[in-house]
Amino acid sequence: MDALAVKSFKALGDPTRQQILALLAEQDMTIGQVVDHFDMTRAGVKKHMKLLEVGQLITVKAEGRERINSLNREGFKSIMQWIAYFDQFWDDKLDALASLVEQEEQK
Amino acid sequence: MNTSEIIKTVFLPVSAKVAWGYLTEADKLAKWFHPPQQDLADGQDYALLGTDSGDKMCWGKVLKMDPYHALSYSFAIKPFPDMDTEVHWTLDEIEGGTRITMRHTGLENVGAQSFGLSMALDKGWDGHFAKLRDI
Repeated sequence: MDALAVKSFKALGDPTRQQILALLAEQDMTIGQVVDHFDMTRAGVKKHMKLLEVGQLITVKAEGRERINSLNREGFKSIMQWIAYFDQFWDDKLDALASLVEQEEQK
Repeated sequence: MNTSEIIKTVFLPVSAKVAWGYLTEADKLAKWFHPPQQDLADGQDYALLGTDSGDKMCWGKVLKMDPYHALSYSFAIKPFPDMDTEVHWTLDEIEGGTRITMRHTGLENVGAQSFGLSMALDKGWDGHFAKLRDI
């Protein structure tokens, strides 16, 4: 995991940006379309989108005069690995707990 | 979106009171997790120590203790010392035992230092994982 992953996490750690990602998970959008979903200035939304782009959670592609924002599914890989580590961590611990309780309480 | 939270449940064939002991008492935690220096206490810092090394493996502060029902603490682990996450346990007595739900939240607050460290060691993420599993 690298510095990019830190940026990905930073990008993910905000409710507005999470909402933006949820919107883009459904369909690609221009900034204007995203702005329509928020009670926020265009500049405010743009700032959030920039962080998402830096964290590589979204990609921006020029189409004519429009800039189309899409969810970058690849960008979630490092985050998923991090989550997967703790998923395994807790599976191991809780298995150990269940076995222990079974042993101890049957004595 | 809920990518930054892990939820697990486990059923234990004991009362909530007994289950509570396994989550909070030093001698019982030692047997399935890591041994703390003392029983967990509301509002107190805690540290779980490595069995062999005696190093701090996991640590944080107990945020809430509602005996036999709910337990919360902040949670960081050795390889990621500045992560800022929380672990919430709830205990529900059901027929024949207790259902325990563990919620690990705030996983996005991983802390930049953690990654700085792993980069300094010049280890790939997979290698890092392998090492972690040995803990």
